[in-house]
This record gives sequence, structure tokens and C-alpha cells, in this order.
Amino acid sequence: MREAQNTKKDAAPTIWAVGGGKGGTGKSVVSAILAFWLARMGKRTVLIDVDLGGANIHTLMGIKSPPRSINDFITRKFKSLEDICIDTEEKNLRLISGSSEVLSLANPHFSQKIKLINHFSRLDADNLVLDLGAGTSFNVLDFFLAADEKIVVLTSEPTSIQNAYIFVRNVVYRRLSRLSNKNPSLKALVKIAMDPKNELKIRTIKELLQFIQESGGKDVAEPLEKEIGEIRPAVITNMIKDSKEKNASRIIQIVAERYLMIQSIALGSVPYDKQIFRMISDMIPLIQIDQSSQAFSNIYEITTNLLKHRA
Amino acid sequence: MNDRIDKQNSVISHIIDGSITIDSITEFENLLKAVPNDPGLHRVFADLLKKEKSPEAAADEYGNAAKLFIKAGSMLQAIAAKSLEWQIFKPSSQEEQTFYSSLCKIGSKDTAIQAFFIKMTCPEVMAFMNSLELQHFPVEKTIKRFGDEENQLYFVVSGALEERLYHRLKKTEKAQKKSAKNLAENNFFGEIYPFEEEKLSQSDVETITCVELAKVSKSSLIALCRKYPNIKLLVEGLYEARFEYDEEAPSRIVRKTARSQLPTQLNLKVFRDDPGKASLNIAGFTENISMGGACVVLGPKYKTGHPGNLKGSRVKVKIGLPIAAVNLFILGTIVWSKVVSMEGKTMTAVGVQFEEMTETDRKLLNDYHYGSEGEQNLIWTLWDTYMEK
Repeated sequence: MREAQNTKKDAAPTIWAVGGGKGGTGKSVVSAILAFWLARMGKRTVLIDVDLGGANIHTLMGIKSPPRSINDFITRKFKSLEDICIDTEEKNLRLISGSSEVLSLANPHFSQKIKLINHFSRLDADNLVLDLGAGTSFNVLDFFLAADEKIVVLTSEPTSIQNAYIFVRNVVYRRLSRLSNKNPSLKALVKIAMDPKNELKIRTIKELLQFIQESGGKDVAEPLEKEIGEIRPAVITNMIKDSKEKNASRIIQIVAERYLMIQSIALGSVPYDKQIFRMISDMIPLIQIDQSSQAFSNIYEITTNLLKHRA
Repeated sequence: MNDRIDKQNSVISHIIDGSITIDSITEFENLLKAVPNDPGLHRVFADLLKKEKSPEAAADEYGNAAKLFIKAGSMLQAIAAKSLEWQIFKPSSQEEQTFYSSLCKIGSKDTAIQAFFIKMTCPEVMAFMNSLELQHFPVEKTIKRFGDEENQLYFVVSGALEERLYHRLKKTEKAQKKSAKNLAENNFFGEIYPFEEEKLSQSDVETITCVELAKVSKSSLIALCRKYPNIKLLVEGLYEARFEYDEEAPSRIVRKTARSQLPTQLNLKVFRDDPGKASLNIAGFTENISMGGACVVLGPKYKTGHPGNLKGSRVKVKIGLPIAAVNLFILGTIVWSKVVSMEGKTMTAVGVQFEEMTETDRKLLNDYHYGSEGEQNLIWTLWDTYMEK
């Protein structure tokens, strides 16, 4: 199972995006270990730092100054993304480092992001793991929506739960906005409903869809509901210290189902692990972690569950 | 083995809240071997044993659940479990006294319900427990409707509900929704006090998750109050304290102080006092933001002078939100500034106090950072239910 698959594949790689809104929830650590396990399972994997504001995943892989970054591709210093991939100590695992200049990429146009995602899809790999930055900028939301597997990482702190939910909410609204752009009649309905001055007091996706349906737009509302329903984020509660904290993802699940009409998947939890913190501060590559680490084995379990879910 | 345990743990909350059911006693026993100290799990197992006609084993499990609930400080849940145990086997007076003592040891008065029970004597608690009826309800089940006669007092043992209050048009005809609130574990509802008033429900109450309620009928409660006048005083206190306890619930306190920590890109237009100087346009992102202000980290392009120079400047903040087609414009003042280190880079952060905002922009900003009122309420209600320690 852990043998490398050296044959060149025909299908586009599966894209896994790891987001979650708030900074400091461990998105990069989860991304790095998820990518490690995919590589260990024999799948050629590229870990891509899409945190265009504060890229740092290279440090988790023990690389102080990456020789090339995604910025070099965007500024056309390199023609192909393959050229900016950096090998890691782990067989089957390569890295594309993020931009080292904070906010230097500003906010690329939607079409530029689509181009970038298309380039990602041409990479010679089975899996791409995108580590998204904090926040809900259009960049983060668009990369998240473009992924085949959408993973939200949060901690059990109340602000993290709230922020993770708002992240998911903004993902759904972004999708809604993109969908309505393609349909002028829907755009008009959405515009009325989304106007905060409207007296209909429509404040949620559920109310919006009900409004569209009641306004005679059943043929519009139903496909819209279906499209939105296809956003099924998998939620991981990270750095838990007691079993009660595992319920954080359940909270997201219940609120998202009720207000956003989406079914999220509570994927499990990852315990707080001092070893990981030590490794990060000592710049030791995470892939050298003691494999008896509970956090490490939980992410293995999560990875296999996600793969089963895809099958 | 650890993987297996974690996988099992990931479904425990679903088993406890009833969204996943386990029908096999053997499977449940294996789960309890892996997770021996979760009171909710013991409680669900006891319900299964009772359903499977194993009363002795069920009574033992209800007893185990009650002990663990007491250990966790969950008084109402312990009372519910013990009531079910004693429905199977009547307790001795010694057992009653032991249970009452253990309830008193919880000692906490964190909720109105805890204060209600802890002020009762042992015979009063026992009489009250005998009057309680426990009921489970599935998701989206209406418990009481607007216009129904109010004749039950309900205590929420587990799960979450929504109560929607309406303005009244006629006796049983509701008008526009007045407000909505969520009810979680250790909340209560049902307007039956003062007993002399015949009341019709002003609200609809519907379950959000699977729910267990302990209810006592108005007639039973009146009878109890006649026999034990102290209970009447406690019921009166329970209703009086409701508002106070609602206000002081831990999640509400957390909520009041919560600031959104979603970094959001924005532009700051900094007006200069000197009429000869052009205003500065600086890109940045919020480190955290609330309705009153934001901590903004300025982009690398800001390299003009000492950060302290910005203090006191009037600013216009422009924020583009994914939920709005238009940008938000908020006027404010920079009240502090400092040099910060982020991702190994030295940057300038400023604190902006918001001053002027249109009502529309305020609503948009609130929705963007916190969600609608209903969403916020549900998050905090569930936080109370699932996370409060």
C-alpha cells in the first residue's frame, strides 16, 4: 500500500482544500499531515500553500527559505507549476510554497483564479492538498469551492466555532452569488432578497430559497437548492483537550443544516499534541513526527475516512 | 486501538442526542468499555435496556448515569436518570437521602433550575421527582403552539429548541413574529405561574435537535405547592430568576465579548490634518473586528513614518463583503497604533474606533461577521448544550 505509483496518471488530481476562517486553528498542520498520509498511501501528492497572505507551510516541512514559490509562477518567472514544485523528505510528497510577500497578490480576478486552479489540475499528481489562509476573502472562498473535498478546521473555542460557521456561511453565499451571475432572473430575485433594506427580513439561505419559491420561482429554487446542497464540508475539531470538545463540529453541522441547507460531515477530532508545537518552534519537519502521536494517528483515520467517502 | 476509540468517540455525540441509534446491547457494551465515563452514553444504554425488557440492568445503568451526571455537576440530568431508575425499583428512604445528599454536594447555583432544586428539602425533591414525566421528541417537532392552553412546565434535559413569540391579534390568532429565542439544557418554558391565571400560549416551541424534556403538569404542581408551601416560593423564584439567569448564562457573557477573528481585506483612507497633505490610501486586513471597531494590520506598502503619527487620524474604512454587492464605508478614528511582528515580518497595526455607520451597513457587518440573530442564537444555545463545562 505504501509503494509509490510511478505511472503517469490520466485523470485530474483530486483537490483537497483545508480552510476554516480563523487563524491559529491548525489548518496548516492538518494540511501537512493529511498530505503526508496521502503520500504514504502511495498517492503522488502536492501540498500547495495558497495562503496568499501569510504563507508558512514550508516551515512545517523544515524548509527555511523556499527557492521557488507560487509568486514565481504568477509573475511568469516559471512557465509551469511543475517547475516550482519542491521535493520534500517524504517520497511521493512535493510542495508548492506560497507567496512570501504579505498581501502581494492582492485579490486576483476570478478568471485568474480559475486559470490557476486549471494549472493545479494539470500537475502530475494524484492529490493536491491546498492549505488556505485565514479569513473569508474571495480568494479563500473560491479556492475552497473549487476543491473536490472541502475540509474545515476549527478548535473548540467559542470564537473559533462562530468563525468557522461564518466561513461556511460565506462559502455558501459566494456560491450563490456565482450561480446567480449566470442567471439574470435569479440574479434579480437574489438582489431583492439580499437587500438588507428589504422588508421581507430575509436573512438566511433557507429564507431566501423559500422566498424565491413562493415568488413563483420554483424552477429556479430547486436547482439552486441542489447546487448549494452539493457543498458538503467535512469538519475537523483540532487541538481538543477533553472529549466534550469534540462536539464543536456537531454545532457547525446542526446550524449549517438548519440555516444554510447544507449537510456538513463531522469528520472527527485531533487531540492537542505538545510534540507538534515543539516541532514547529524547533523547525523540525512534521513528517519526522513520532508516529505514535495521537494527533498523527487521528489524521490518518480522518484521511482514510475521507478516501472511503470519495470511493 | 486508539484509532478505534477515536472513531467511536466521533459518533458519541450523535448517539447521545439521538441522531444515531444503536439497537444492539453487545455493540453498546463494547462502546461503554471504550468510553466508560460518559453519563449521556450510560443514560442512552439504560433506555435501550429498558426497551429490551431488561429492567434490572436498565435500573443499574440509570443509577450509573445519575452518578456520573452528579460528578459532572448536571443536576437536572441526574434527577431525570434517577427518576427512571426509581420508576423500575422503588427506592428506600436511605437511598432517597443518599441521592438528595449527593445533589446538595453539587452545590452550584449556575442555573435557575439548580437553584430551584437545591433549595428544596429531601421530601420536597422526592415529591417533585414523582410528579415529573420524561418525554423524548425528534427533530422539528412542535411541543406547544400559539393559542394552546398553558398547562405544563417543561424543563430541558437535553437538546435544543426554538421558541418563537408572536404578537396576538385575537384570542388564538397570531400576528407578526415578535422575537425568537433558543432553549437549551437546563432552560425551562411554559407559562403556568401565577397559577390563578388561565393563560394561552404566546409562542410556538419547536425542537431543533432530538430533545428530552421533563414536564410537570400545572395541576400536579398546584397539588405539590399545597402540600409543600416552600415549593410554591421556589416556583415563584424560578420564574422571577429566569430573566436574570438568561442574562448571566456563560455563553451570553462569551458572546458579548466575542470579536470576529476572520481576517477581512479592507482599505483605509486616512485623512490628514494638514490641508496641504493628500489623504493616504492603505490596504490592510482586520486582525479582529467587532461592531464598535477593528484592529487593522496595514499592508507592506505603509512605510510612511512612525506608526504613532497615525494616532488620532480620521479614517474612512472600505470593506468588500462576499454577502453584499456593494462595499461598506465606515467612518472612524485611529485610537492606537503599534509595530507588530507577523509571520516573521514587521508590520504596523492600528486600532480603529467606528463612529458613523448607516443602519444598513451595521446590519451587513453584523451578518457578515456573526450571522443572523437566529444563527447566532443557535450557535450559542448549542454551545451551552454541548460545550459548557
